Amino acid sequence: MAETMQSLDGATSQNFPRTGQHYSPLVDGTKYGRVYAHAVQTILSDPETLYSRWKDVESFPLWQEHVVSCTPVSDKVSHWVIGNPQDPRGKRIEFDAQITDDEPGRRIAWDSITEGVEQSGAVTFTPHPSGRGTIVLLQQMVKLPGGALTNALFSIAERGPRQTVIESLRHFKEMAEAGEIPSIKGQPHGPRGVSGTTKKWMYGETNPKPRGASESASDIRQVQ
Amino acid sequence: MGRGSIEVHHVEDPKIINPHDAILKITRTAICGSDLHLYDGYIPTMESGDIVGHEFMGIVEEVGSEVKKLKRGDRVVVPFTISCGSCMFCRKDLWSLCDNSNPNARIAEAMYGYSGSALFGYSHIYGGYAGGQAQYVRVPFADVGPIKIENDLPDEKVLFLSDIYPTGYQGAENCNIEPGDTVAIWGCGPVGLFAIASAYLLGAGKVIAIDRFPERLKLAREYCGATTIDYSEEDVTIVEALRDLTGGVGPDSCIDAVGMEAHSSTIAGLYDKVKQTLMLETDRPFVLRQAIQAIRKGGTLSIPGVYGGVLDKVNFGAAFGKGIHMNMGQTHMQKYLQPLLKYVEQGKIDPSFLISHRVGIEQVPDMYKIWRDKQDSCTKIVIDPWVDKMENPKIAAR
Repeated sequence: MAETMQSLDGATSQNFPRTGQHYSPLVDGTKYGRVYAHAVQTILSDPETLYSRWKDVESFPLWQEHVVSCTPVSDKVSHWVIGNPQDPRGKRIEFDAQITDDEPGRRIAWDSITEGVEQSGAVTFTPHPSGRGTIVLLQQMVKLPGGALTNALFSIAERGPRQTVIESLRHFKEMAEAGEIPSIKGQPHGPRGVSGTTKKWMYGETNPKPRGASESASDIRQVQ
Repeated sequence: MGRGSIEVHHVEDPKIINPHDAILKITRTAICGSDLHLYDGYIPTMESGDIVGHEFMGIVEEVGSEVKKLKRGDRVVVPFTISCGSCMFCRKDLWSLCDNSNPNARIAEAMYGYSGSALFGYSHIYGGYAGGQAQYVRVPFADVGPIKIENDLPDEKVLFLSDIYPTGYQGAENCNIEPGDTVAIWGCGPVGLFAIASAYLLGAGKVIAIDRFPERLKLAREYCGATTIDYSEEDVTIVEALRDLTGGVGPDSCIDAVGMEAHSSTIAGLYDKVKQTLMLETDRPFVLRQAIQAIRKGGTLSIPGVYGGVLDKVNFGAAFGKGIHMNMGQTHMQKYLQPLLKYVEQGKIDPSFLISHRVGIEQVPDMYKIWRDKQDSCTKIVIDPWVDKMENPKIAAR
């Protein structure tokens, strides 16, 4: 990518032959009893700012789906509580995750250190080659099935782990760019009737969406 | 409340949800032609209890903590698209393609690959935001959308900045008009009428307008200055009429201001109606087919009419064979609000020219039916949500 940029001033790589790249897909889907998921977004911000936002683990419940709380235990270890923040009596999964790789402004990787919970992930921040901000790639792996965490994710998030990863990164972008997560939660509506009620989940009205910067009293109660 | 049913209900007042929200007390609102696609059940993910309406203006009642430009008491017109103002698309002036305003982006991604901006009161695929055929509405990203009205022009002269005037204008701008060009416009509803006026403003030499309702054709001819064709008249064939009116060349640009529910009395029209009813195709692209056929070689086809899904039997070979250009999409509202407000202030155009009915909120369900069935010479309906019933909805004929 850096070569492409250089070609704007130097003539060398405007001549042919020039070497391109070949696409190979990232691991995604269910493999070896584990769910691999990834999401990618271009965010109008610089890698350093986004990296520090991601290091602020206590803010995770504001934008990551199904995270009730995340508390730093030490420099590298944080304690996660996963569940539906809207349902205080709902199922909770707790585990500790340790940072396994930390390159400021570039990459963070983590892995669960709690026995029985297999959950790992990595996020990379790459400057967009044409200056359109930062390409953020989030990759996550959770163990299937019967794995307590996966089941909890399925039942809580009402979407598969793959979509959960996509939504979490989307919310990260929304917070970084727009300063809030768009929401219609709590807005008035007329009588829903039978079909409206059954389809509520489809439109996200029953999803435990993180509250972002919401000022709505009901949203703030959910998180506590 | 389901296909073909609009009802008036008392619901809770909207509240501030996010820090960039404002709550508006609505002073005037309107029914849009595109609301009829919702009414007729052709836009997926509408649900019982959804509040519709995306053309409205009013007075700011309350603002969220991050709203900087608006304050209580400001008089504003609100564009129908919701945009964050900070993503790549908003910064490129592609406001209706905003990345960050649709809470249901995943539904749109499943259907379209990527999600555009959210819209007010226009189904859950477009965000599910409650609309403005109401007394109060919540406006997200209040510093980005609403335009302050600091003159004393009456509501009715500025209300249509919320959608149909900018949408008609973009429809014309998307034609890449060169001075003296001939532009043909299908549909003389509000968007079509504003497109005619805008095409002249942008330098068109001749505008040809196609419809079948006398009251619309009259406005097109007598207010906007178009040459009109009534496609329902005997012996009228649109492609031939346009060839005759353009010296055998075809219109330089065509505008489809009709969209997915085009009407036609021909066999092809019946074919689309049957397929759409059986849900074998979502849209009836009759106008699109005709425009592709009629346009001159290398011409530009602009589509402000709404399409929702999968089309059938569109002669893409003709589009390719003639090397035409196509421009379409929801309106990038914020790009047009200031310049078009200026036109209104300068008196270049009085957008209220097309209003035919003024009603109170209790009359809205009836007006949907009248508007859909094109009864009562209806060309545009404006609603005062604080009045239950207006005595004489129909204003004096011009």
